[in-house]
Amino acid sequence: MATIIEMDNVSFSYGSEAEHALDDVSLRVDEGDFVGIIGPSGAGKSTLAACLSGAIPHHFTGELFGSTRIAGQDTCDVTLTDISRIVGSVAQDIDAQMVASVVEDELLFGLENFGIPHDQIEGRIARTLATVGIADLRDREIATLSGGQKQKVAIAAILALEPRVLVLDEPTAALDPVSSRVVFDTLADINRRLGVTVIVIEQKVALLSSYCSHIMVMDHGHIALAGTPHEVFGQSDHLRAIGVDSPRTARISNSLLRDGLTARTEPCLNVTEAEALIREVLAGVPGIADVAADEPEPSPHVSVRPRAEGADPVLTFTKVGFTYPGGGASVNDLDMTVYPGELVGIVGQNGAGKTTLTKLLNGLLKPTRGEVRVAGLDTRTTPVSTVAAHVATLFQNPDRQICKNTVLDEVAFGLELTGIDPSAARERARRVIKRFGLPATEAPFSLSRGQRQMVALAGVVVMEPDIVVLDEPTSGLDYRECMTVMETVRDMADQGSAVIMVCHDMEVVSDFAERIVVMADGRILGRGPASELFADAALMDKASVTPPQVIDLSARLARGVSPAFARITEVSDVVRTVKELMGRA
Amino acid sequence: MLNVIDYVPGNTLLHRLNPVAKLALAASIIAATFLANTYAALVGLLLFTLLLAAYADVFDRLARLLKLLVPIALIMLVLQLAFVRSGEPLFAFVTDEGLITGGKACLRLLGVALPLVLMLMVTKLTDLANACVEKLHIPYKYAFTFTTALRFVPVFSQEMNAIMEAQTARGVQYDTKNPFKKMQLMLPLCVPLLISSVSKTDATALAAEQRGFYLRTRESSYRRYPFAARDMVVFAVCIVLIVGGILL
Repeated sequence: MATIIEMDNVSFSYGSEAEHALDDVSLRVDEGDFVGIIGPSGAGKSTLAACLSGAIPHHFTGELFGSTRIAGQDTCDVTLTDISRIVGSVAQDIDAQMVASVVEDELLFGLENFGIPHDQIEGRIARTLATVGIADLRDREIATLSGGQKQKVAIAAILALEPRVLVLDEPTAALDPVSSRVVFDTLADINRRLGVTVIVIEQKVALLSSYCSHIMVMDHGHIALAGTPHEVFGQSDHLRAIGVDSPRTARISNSLLRDGLTARTEPCLNVTEAEALIREVLAGVPGIADVAADEPEPSPHVSVRPRAEGADPVLTFTKVGFTYPGGGASVNDLDMTVYPGELVGIVGQNGAGKTTLTKLLNGLLKPTRGEVRVAGLDTRTTPVSTVAAHVATLFQNPDRQICKNTVLDEVAFGLELTGIDPSAARERARRVIKRFGLPATEAPFSLSRGQRQMVALAGVVVMEPDIVVLDEPTSGLDYRECMTVMETVRDMADQGSAVIMVCHDMEVVSDFAERIVVMADGRILGRGPASELFADAALMDKASVTPPQVIDLSARLARGVSPAFARITEVSDVVRTVKELMGRA
Repeated sequence: MLNVIDYVPGNTLLHRLNPVAKLALAASIIAATFLANTYAALVGLLLFTLLLAAYADVFDRLARLLKLLVPIALIMLVLQLAFVRSGEPLFAFVTDEGLITGGKACLRLLGVALPLVLMLMVTKLTDLANACVEKLHIPYKYAFTFTTALRFVPVFSQEMNAIMEAQTARGVQYDTKNPFKKMQLMLPLCVPLLISSVSKTDATALAAEQRGFYLRTRESSYRRYPFAARDMVVFAVCIVLIVGGILL
């Protein structure tokens, strides 16, 4: 295959004083590759994408060294418009990319601009819409589409220009797991059938490992690791040091390899591979089909928290229903009781009613039927500002929360609003800021995205609330930041706050939540211990939730290999069980 | 989330008119509203706009805007009443002349605001931009700037709502009854809104350039917007409206 993109010793900084965002990057991308780029936040992923799409040097200013050649031409020698005839890029913020109100017009814009002969335009539009699988959306208003559909329209609008390379910056950041897979299926299809090279920045390792032909791991502006998914995820220790997660199945196979239980050096990237590997390892060990499961040990993440005997619930939903004015989505018959110190995960597809539930909880919405009680207060009769003293919410986007000029003011703001004396509030804020290691006098907006999320989190912690609500706390964060956030939240639960988290990352939910609530179509389908519900295949299917890999794997192994694997939720327990079974031989 | 200026799909004559003709119609209703000086003419023009809205099946949406505008119009009336001191005093500080000019100012405010909004409701922004470029020879850059600005209105108002919600959840008392206090609480939120809008605008410029924005010429548009007989009728109506406005 011919090389389509070549970068030689490229360095870039957004200004002469600034640190290098890219540091001596050299890479080659062959035509027809499906390349995934992953790395912790601030590693230079978006800067790399900007170099590949020509936005550097043509749109962003800074200091650039080295050369980037696209289809043989140096990006400095041709205009941005000419580069974009070869490299189509889908913006991270698709609202900013959209120019039209109707899907068809959105596709027309680029085609018209590039002067595609008018007799070919109809054919291109029809073909592109069919390729992306949205032919039925052609006349729809973009404002009425779901997140996943919008993302497909954004891809179609670029694909219609027939670029040879497609660059996407976190296309699934705002999508639920099912829509994320659909978007990647579409990309894989484009890659396979049309031969378009796809380069995608993505944080979800499970997606990268199952779709990409090559993966590049970025760290501090350079490429730390590159290769096929098997090569890259075989080094899960190195990845963890960088701050990148690996698929849980890869961690299992890497542990088995390290302990000498298998000679297979290729990591397992999905549950099927891992199941096959463990079957192979255990083949010939007699009698394992009769070994009963141990009582599952509590997960190391979920600390054992003796629930205060006879404590009153801090939150109760009784037959709660809510309908948005003007019809549309609604939730019905929500019943839920949460006690102090519990960590409850809420899972379900986009549109299942999870966000509505959180808004009912912090009083932003008042129930139309039933009753919500927060720390004994009825939200229908209590002003939101009073409820806020008991419930602290960490929103998905910290920028909506932050409004003060210094970190200290920002963190103390919530306390001051509840009527605490400013100097006492500042004292408490200072303690929390110190614990988080944040710069107290800096302006929050000058910090990185991950640090801004930490400022917002500090603003929640300082409140010492009865209830903490987390709305997608991990989106936009890298693995390390995600763990810091979740560990902080767990500490708060240990100190008696009830935590309710809405989260699409099932691995995080199963690591940290002891109970989950499964929602679909505005109703609660099931609630109970996380490991039990995740193992209930029928329920997961009904809610369109993909269970965490380890739980899926242990359920399969328990059915087909040995009952000893039943109810295991942790990587280390799977490995330990394999060892124990081997020991019997 | 549906917004007042969002396009409402439909197939009425008003929808099918050439965007330039619609623009001319709205402009001439506005011009006539400024020129006309009798109550009959002002009320007539307002009724005409509302009738058009009812015909195009967007009356409900326009009524929502009306609900916002009427209080503003009433404030204007009160100000006029307070400031116009000539004429016969009727009661308290109100004079007959104040009441007459104030009433007209009220009607003008409504008469000027509604036609353009009505026109935007029945026209897709892309069609408006393309037709203006083709017929009025406006450079595409300006047409694009204008339509992008309009497109961002709902985007930013959603962003503002999200920011307000986040702040309310923290305990900021937006549920206060005092409008001045609410205003004071809202001002600091301009910072996050400004920051997100600047970065969004930059992203938009980049995305447009990457889709060949600078190559676009007057001939680029796939759709053509020829004037039909119905458009000529509308232009005639426009002249009648303006002449009527001058005379009445």
